[in-house]
Amino acid sequence: MNIISVGVNHKTAPIEIRERVSLSEVQAKEFLTNLIDDGIAQEAMVLSTCNRTELYVVPGMPEVDGRYLKDYLIAYRNAHNEVRPEHFFNRFYCNTARHLFEVASAIDSLILGEGQILGQVKDGYRIAAEVQSAGILLTRLCHTAFSVAKKVKTKTKIMEGAVSVSYAAVELAQKIFSNLSMKKILLVGAGETGELAAKHMFQKNARNIVITNRTLSKAEALAEELGTNQVLPYESYKEHLHEFDIIITAVSTKDYVLTEPELQQSMQKRRLKPVIILDLGLPRNVDPEIGKLKNMFLKDIDALKHIIDKNLEMRRAELPKVQKIIDEELVGFGQWINTLKVRPTIVDLQSKFLEIKEKELERFRYKVSEEELKRMERLTDRILKKILHHPIKMLKAPVDTADTIPSRVNLVRNIFDLEEQNQRTK
Amino acid sequence: MDNVLLNNTLLILLTLAVSLFYIISMTLYGADFFKGNVFAKTYKQPALIVTIVTHIAYIGFLTAPEGYKLSYSSSMLMSMVALTLAVIYMFIEFSTKTDKTGFFILSFSTGAEILASVLLLTSSGNGPAFSGLGIGIHLLAAIFSFSAIAIAGLYSFLYLLLFRQIKNNKFGFLFENLPNLEVLEQLIKHAVAFGFLFLTITLFAGVIGSIQTSEVINLFETRLLALIVIWLFYGASLFIKKLFGWDTIHMAYLLIFLFVLTATLIMLMSIFSPTFHSTSF
Repeated sequence: MNIISVGVNHKTAPIEIRERVSLSEVQAKEFLTNLIDDGIAQEAMVLSTCNRTELYVVPGMPEVDGRYLKDYLIAYRNAHNEVRPEHFFNRFYCNTARHLFEVASAIDSLILGEGQILGQVKDGYRIAAEVQSAGILLTRLCHTAFSVAKKVKTKTKIMEGAVSVSYAAVELAQKIFSNLSMKKILLVGAGETGELAAKHMFQKNARNIVITNRTLSKAEALAEELGTNQVLPYESYKEHLHEFDIIITAVSTKDYVLTEPELQQSMQKRRLKPVIILDLGLPRNVDPEIGKLKNMFLKDIDALKHIIDKNLEMRRAELPKVQKIIDEELVGFGQWINTLKVRPTIVDLQSKFLEIKEKELERFRYKVSEEELKRMERLTDRILKKILHHPIKMLKAPVDTADTIPSRVNLVRNIFDLEEQNQRTK
Repeated sequence: MDNVLLNNTLLILLTLAVSLFYIISMTLYGADFFKGNVFAKTYKQPALIVTIVTHIAYIGFLTAPEGYKLSYSSSMLMSMVALTLAVIYMFIEFSTKTDKTGFFILSFSTGAEILASVLLLTSSGNGPAFSGLGIGIHLLAAIFSFSAIAIAGLYSFLYLLLFRQIKNNKFGFLFENLPNLEVLEQLIKHAVAFGFLFLTITLFAGVIGSIQTSEVINLFETRLLALIVIWLFYGASLFIKKLFGWDTIHMAYLLIFLFVLTATLIMLMSIFSPTFHSTSF
């Protein structure tokens, strides 16, 4: 039983190609249903995110291979003109399992260790389960992938540390102040960057966030969204600078919005209590000279990128640990797959002994009482269980290579004369 | 006078074991802080507890012949400093859930305990045991004061390190592992408050002890002068921030200076007067 995975992702194709083959939830359901109904797949799953569209398929016909599935997806999306098979990756069997484990653990992501991918893999499995295209193999594969991702998250630091500028700003603030809920924060600029930084601050329990913006209505809208409802008119916010412990600036302007004399005055008013200014604007919003003031921490995007680089480096250093976890789980998954191969023989073996038991008991059916017959049946059940215990254990035992499975199966089949059953199974 | 230890194998073994336990605890805290070692993270706290318990038992064995009274010897005082530092650190770790500064505090504990062991193994005795409540309080308060001064100095040093790293955009493992600046500042404040309290007790208990033993108090006596100078500085440092608008950076420099000054004075007194109060109080 093989599992094939094909797909396009950020490593194999540019965004315009990824867009052409991506599937919405409705499309994914239709696509999976087609695969099953056409007999192309016994089992199938689609994982479609902004960075990848990948198929995981247990083929239903011998001719179904990677190339077949690529063509099928291109045809379904009617993307012959833009998308070529070379844009796809293609993996089989254990490499498919490894790939899904790597994807779920976020080590195959564009941003190493990003936190969204596991949820997206779970969504992919949910969709497959809803259209009943996830059978025993894909169900086991996905659940093992979830377990791998959980282990990776708890046992490694692959998901730790900020890897976005706005989140790095929060991480830095937390290294200076212990409790953001006690700090007063000023956000200058209610654009996308400012909004993101304010939301990250809010997630870390900062509640005293005051927003100022050239267009007051935008500031009010963001303040309402955050639930702080605190805004300051852009014309007068500088009069209140000394009240704030953290100032975030993210406005589009050529001139500095905060200058050194303004901040010097504000620092005197607050008796040199530390202040962090996070300048997220490009070009910079704050006069760099301000950074020289006592107890003033001025950090621009470049400084915050130092934090991001450090965190990414730390995440990369965790990769060997993640690979070790994946390798261990892969061995377990491989062994489980092998038990699938011996399952028909186990069933045949149990059927054969059951048949013998039934035949022998039948001979005594009218010679003994009903109670005695039940006792004999219980006795034979116990004997059969004990006789079959070792052969079944041997069949299920872990193997070094899949090549040893046929010889084991043949040995058991020959010893117990299971040829007929074998034919029947086939 | 014979060395008390040489006649007692158990005490020799305990002396070595206590130093060894401090080294193990410090190494585990260091391995966790610098390398993020999982084994060290798991076993550092149990190792510290074992160290403290062994150390208390050791002090008990050592003082048993004198009715469990501490002596005035430098080795005993250094050993008590090591113990109080470890106990205070453990209290900080449990109460603040901050277990990242242990290496720095325990380095000092370990150094003090090794020095105490060396002094004990090479000296001819423990020195006289103290007697009287006033002197007992004086001695214990002095030990706790020095531990508080050491902790304030060490945390001030860490504060400066982290402050500089953040200012200079150096976001290495110190940035990653040390508590934030505000927490360090709080730890410094608490250490200073405790230090001042215990220094005050040391000073007054010492004066009362001297009066009890009818000793004439010489205001120009080195130990008393040193104690008064440090006490004044510590008292001033409690209010200096509010009165003169000093920031934590300047406070940190002052506290490091006071720690170095105190440690130097103790070292000098250990060398020139190994039993501190050798003749009488």
